[in-house]
Amino acid sequence: MSTENSKSTLKKESLFSKKNRMLLKDPLSDFNPITIQVLGICSALAITVQLQQAVIMSLSVLFVMISGNVIVSLLRNLIPDRIRIIVQLVIVASLVIIVDEVLKAYQPDISEKLSVFVGLIITNCIIMGRLEAFALANKPGPSIFDAIGNGMGYAWVLLLVSIVREIFGSGAISLPGMGQVKFLPQDWFIASGGFYENNNFMILPPMALVVVGIIIWIQRSSNEALIED
Amino acid sequence: MAIDKNNTGYTFLFSIIMVLIVGTTLAYTSLSLKPLQKKNEADKQMVDILGAIGVTTTRENAKTDFPIYVKERLSIDSDGTVLNNSSGNVDPSDSSDPFNLDVKKDYRSKKPASELSFPLYVCESELGDKLYVIPVVGSGLWGPIWGFVALESDMNTIYGAKFDHKTETPGLGAEIKDNEFSDKFKGQKLREASPYFTIIKGGRKIEDMHSVDGITGGTITSVGVGEMIDRTITIYQRYFMSLTNSSAN
Amino acid sequence: MEYFSIFVKGIFVENMIFAYFLGMCSYLAVSKTVKTANGLGLAVIFVLGITVPINYLLENYVLQEGALAWLDPDFATVNLSFLSFIMFIAVIASMVQLVEMIVEKFAPALYGALGIFLPLIAVNCSILGGALFMQERQYPSIGEATIFGLGSGVGWWLAIVAIAAIREKIRYSNVPAPLQGLGITYIITGLMGIAFMSFMGIEI
Repeated sequence: MSTENSKSTLKKESLFSKKNRMLLKDPLSDFNPITIQVLGICSALAITVQLQQAVIMSLSVLFVMISGNVIVSLLRNLIPDRIRIIVQLVIVASLVIIVDEVLKAYQPDISEKLSVFVGLIITNCIIMGRLEAFALANKPGPSIFDAIGNGMGYAWVLLLVSIVREIFGSGAISLPGMGQVKFLPQDWFIASGGFYENNNFMILPPMALVVVGIIIWIQRSSNEALIED
Repeated sequence: MAIDKNNTGYTFLFSIIMVLIVGTTLAYTSLSLKPLQKKNEADKQMVDILGAIGVTTTRENAKTDFPIYVKERLSIDSDGTVLNNSSGNVDPSDSSDPFNLDVKKDYRSKKPASELSFPLYVCESELGDKLYVIPVVGSGLWGPIWGFVALESDMNTIYGAKFDHKTETPGLGAEIKDNEFSDKFKGQKLREASPYFTIIKGGRKIEDMHSVDGITGGTITSVGVGEMIDRTITIYQRYFMSLTNSSAN
Repeated sequence: MEYFSIFVKGIFVENMIFAYFLGMCSYLAVSKTVKTANGLGLAVIFVLGITVPINYLLENYVLQEGALAWLDPDFATVNLSFLSFIMFIAVIASMVQLVEMIVEKFAPALYGALGIFLPLIAVNCSILGGALFMQERQYPSIGEATIFGLGSGVGWWLAIVAIAAIREKIRYSNVPAPLQGLGITYIITGLMGIAFMSFMGIEI
């Protein structure tokens, strides 16, 4: 009887075990999807022109990752190997389409903002990459943590890049619901006789790559173990 | 229960079951939500048309505000002949109502203008001026763009405009949706002949009444806006000519 | 002439990587050597060249509104486009599975080198992007759709081989340690992207 009790307490403990905490922590730095795993880049380029877009994208990806990871993890013992890629894709695509359809019916304003991203979310390599690398071989519990960890790792890089790009590229900052707010005083600008001009390069997609490159530079400078040969 | 999940027969069975489940779920979701979605789209269309004539409204109030400002809806063919007209409340299921003409679908079908009919909204601004609202649709960088251009009763001065897009780049092409872009059209005038209006990238003269500045970094979308306005006005010109001729008589 | 125009545009003016920034993940991760880059690039050409025409047929004979009319005139109002994403992806994933089997059999070294990025072609945004662009632009014939697929594939191949060649060369340059490898690749790709912007808007 006592062994059974201790077994059940052991199971409960493992919810916040070291392993799970690592699943949450690693993708934030040492195992970051964008800067280390090289996943999820495509969306990072188009979406990071404005902070509010990055916020919406991050939340959507987080949601799809968690649900996708849970579903695939629950089905992991049933999915035949030969068609596993197709199955994963179909699950992710269906999730995203259902979310999109429901939003179009009940929250059309949010849906409008999101419709741009629907295709980008489905093909977001992070979602597929983590399904393939983790959810297929692990239980739903840890899979949720993996999803949250990677989702947050993706999110902070996205948010940082978009803050840099929006501030230097538009002289503004935007948040969902608030819209874009230009905070630099108008008379700073050359058009009004001042000295400042927005860096239009920052609005263009290639600059997102450069900003991520710089983030990698900083990240690897502070953690020598990440430096490639 | 040791199912050999790599067995070919099992693989087939799994695929078939998955297709059935996914297919039915998606079909059910799509079909059951369609009426609501169509209603949302109609509301948005009304909001945009009213937006082009400077009336701000919400999706909830669009239905009641629409007939107040939009006095008549016409559909014309490429020769300028009036085919249908409606007024009052909009019934989404009434296919003869010009409001329900799907201009985007017609554009995608690439049918020549002679085979299509085009909607025209005869409106009244808040101050009682007569305005004509023309739907425009075209191609941006990533996908379709569309909008409404409102002309004053002289059929030459632009009273206002409202544009929208499906998948243009946020912060670049997507800016056509912002008032900052569409406000530039207010008070500008169409030319006598094609190109009736141009979106200029860089070096535009402030006094130029027949153009507006494009969006920095959103060249292709901006060019798309100019092209769709030009192409559409060309079609409606016949009808406008017939109006001026008949009023001259 | 139309074919030539579509093909050349797909390579330069509408390059999947540098104009639309689709397919970056595998592009960045598999470009360490020209050999693997070439292998993946050829695989992408093949997958794009096959999936775009197949999806074209799907789009025009099954998915579009009225597409099913050939089956039965009563079906003329059926619109299955909400299934587009799923069907395109299913076609793509099946093709990729096929490519995976071929590569494993005939080039096992390449198979090992590509690792997870071979199956990830299925999720490569440029492949789905190709299908969606085809759907959006509504090419009038399957010939043009195929040329578009091949052109985009060649453009992608060109991009990845180019960056791989550069990466091989800069291993002998003085890149700061934290930037070595991935970091400098991001920055160079950004610069190449800016360079390719000079092609934007060219009418052929």
